[in-house]
Amino acid sequence: MNLTKKSNIVFFIFCLLSVSGCVHLGVEPWQRDLLAKKEMALNASPIDAALDDHIYFSKEASSGGKSFGGGGCGCN
Amino acid sequence: MTTKKFTISQCKDSHSISFNAMASPCEVIVQSTDAKLVGALAQVICTEVWRIEGKYNRYDPKSVCSMINTNAGQTVAIDEETYLLLDFAEQCYQLSDGLFDISSGCLRKVWSFDASDNIPNQADVKKQLKSVGWRKINLNRQSITLQKNMEIDFGGIGKEYAVDRTIRLAKQTTQKPVLVNLGGDIAVTGSRHNNTPWQVAIERPDVDIGDEKSADMIVSLYSGALATSGDSRRYLLNGGQRYGHVLNAKTGWPITHAPRSVTVVAPQCIQAGILATMALLQGHQAEQFLSAQDVKFWARR
Amino acid sequence: MKSSTPNKNIKAALTVASAALLGTSNTTQAQTAEEDSWQFDSAFLFYSEADRVSAGEAIINAQKMFDDEEILNLKLTVDTLTGSSANGAVAQPNVQTFTRPSGNGQYITNEADTPLDDTFKDTRVQLNTQWTKPLASNYTLSVGGHLSKEYDYLSLGVNSNLAIDFDRKNSTFSTGFSYFYDTFAPEGGIPKPLVSMLIGDSDTPSWDVNFAQTRLTNDEIKTTTDILFGFTQVIHRRMIMQLNYSYSMVEGYLSDPFKIVSVVNSSGLTQDNIYESRPDSRVKQSLYAQSMYHFESNVLDISYRYMWDDWDIISHTIDSRLRIPLGDIWGKDSFLQPHFRFYQQSAAEFYRPFIQEDNVNGIEYLSADYRIGEMMAYTVGLKFGAVINGKNELSFRLEYYRQTPTDGGYESIGVLSDLELYPTIEAIIGQVTYSF
Repeated sequence: MNLTKKSNIVFFIFCLLSVSGCVHLGVEPWQRDLLAKKEMALNASPIDAALDDHIYFSKEASSGGKSFGGGGCGCN
Repeated sequence: MTTKKFTISQCKDSHSISFNAMASPCEVIVQSTDAKLVGALAQVICTEVWRIEGKYNRYDPKSVCSMINTNAGQTVAIDEETYLLLDFAEQCYQLSDGLFDISSGCLRKVWSFDASDNIPNQADVKKQLKSVGWRKINLNRQSITLQKNMEIDFGGIGKEYAVDRTIRLAKQTTQKPVLVNLGGDIAVTGSRHNNTPWQVAIERPDVDIGDEKSADMIVSLYSGALATSGDSRRYLLNGGQRYGHVLNAKTGWPITHAPRSVTVVAPQCIQAGILATMALLQGHQAEQFLSAQDVKFWARR
Repeated sequence: MKSSTPNKNIKAALTVASAALLGTSNTTQAQTAEEDSWQFDSAFLFYSEADRVSAGEAIINAQKMFDDEEILNLKLTVDTLTGSSANGAVAQPNVQTFTRPSGNGQYITNEADTPLDDTFKDTRVQLNTQWTKPLASNYTLSVGGHLSKEYDYLSLGVNSNLAIDFDRKNSTFSTGFSYFYDTFAPEGGIPKPLVSMLIGDSDTPSWDVNFAQTRLTNDEIKTTTDILFGFTQVIHRRMIMQLNYSYSMVEGYLSDPFKIVSVVNSSGLTQDNIYESRPDSRVKQSLYAQSMYHFESNVLDISYRYMWDDWDIISHTIDSRLRIPLGDIWGKDSFLQPHFRFYQQSAAEFYRPFIQEDNVNGIEYLSADYRIGEMMAYTVGLKFGAVINGKNELSFRLEYYRQTPTDGGYESIGVLSDLELYPTIEAIIGQVTYSF
């Protein structure tokens, strides 16, 4: 089971890399008008994310993924 | 070489200093009736403009620019000012992802923008392109090393730099409002008396036959600078395709679908000039580029 | 984790460059002043479950960006928690008595009610520092420290992250590492796993001795090692994607000393309550994909996380936010942002809602904590924000969170069939954020 999982990841990452290799991805520096906006950042609201992580870390069995899952409190 | 002299004339409460530099007519307006002050200012400003011209004019064999170019292949010692200018050019190269390149001048050997259909062949362009690329240049605070056959020129930044330098000197010389105009690249020390703006007329560069004639555009300038990039008289026509004189330093070919001219307002002239040039380099996305930079601009197509 | 946030504002970069060239800084005051000063973000969050836990959390985050693009980030978090939490035991048709984790006194659960331990009360102070520094033109290093202290818990952590940009900064590969060292010293000590909870009169002279016999030690340690690999790719002008793989190894004391499991007879009646027992290691892995898409004016943020671990827990999380600009109607740059989150997890292999007395012998790991049982949850929320006083952003967020634990295939027996063993938990989350 673990083996299939691992090969899945490798496959997934490989797909992603090959996509970025073949297709014309990305933009020129001057085409970043929209990407440069604060709300387009992958972590646009770090405070919200930190608070949410804390809530869900203490209420559910999963944590992290986006960033470190971490420990940090005795809530779980 | 241009003759190194200036003329002063008075008009109402202001004095105007006229001179020639950098292949352009230049003008300095001082809102003062003090003839002695104007005379002193004229001396200071003209000396500085001519100094910069003499130092960075690539057609002047005695200039620092020529010294660097003729010694391509060897390391040339440079002073602090030259280093700062070159460092600025390097940052522009990086910010434009290589589109703005002060080593791209030799491409003009194969491109003559004379409104003809005289398009060079790809092989010639490719050959010249070998001598282009800031990446190949080695710069540090003390020296610069060009590869053999490479050339640099300060055409894209020298005039704007001179505007900013003279504004600084004007501010040190007098509290009176001063406007510096070096061939269309303009900056002011501040607003005119009673906080009124300078009215700057931007000449419509469009001289194409059949084009709708329109009046000069008037811009109110309280502070900062404006610079214009683009020249509708310099282009080539081939198969209905218009090739503007702005060259893509990476491909060696002119940028197509660029506005004929772009005027940008920015705190400093060199900033306005680079933004205008970078915008032209974006071709049909020029306006989009400038909108993203959140600057005041006018693009003419 | 710091993702690639290159300075793409050419105008701002030129301002700095021309200031260097002209040796002036006065003309560029507006822009440089902003870069040199501290930026503060503060937030207060209120979390309240119906009849259970209430929590308040305050954050103040200070960030300073230096001229050389180094960023220092300091964050202080204070939170306080009060209320009741499920102790793991099942509801019964009769009144149940439980001993408090400290050993000092008892609490009563009425018939048919889910047993809740009402002794939760804690205040936590957390301090984080993060230092981000560009190493070379395409390399960014970030290192950080973490300290969190509550009455019975101390957590120390370090982390580092290296991001490498390539292809005109359109692609970023990042790798991170973090390590936490936690010490847990609950009042009343750590209970022995699978030992019966002592019930009786805590005022009798023999109580303390008997209670101490159910205790293993005073404190326990837990370490968490996380490794994270991330890949960020700009797809086109409107879209950016991120893919992360994370590997997390937790070792040490992973049980919850406050949680018990009901031991029932064939009629479903509780005979005993024993302390839970979890393995002393857990390896969690996850794949996380996120995409930001800029429509004409709206921005969609959608993410999916697949997590699995060696306790047999598998979870799926979908999180989505749509930012809708409202123009300057209700304040400058105001926006509304609906939020929807869906979560689903399977149970840990040793999860049992209760255990029959015949099956206790020989069991090694056991927990009735619904948080590692089968569960589904969703969150719906709405955020409103606007810029006030020209540059300070104020935002409000209100969310509704609902957890629905399910039986995970474990059938109820006897009297338990008529009782609510998997109560739904509802919570309201309110938050105010102010940046200045």
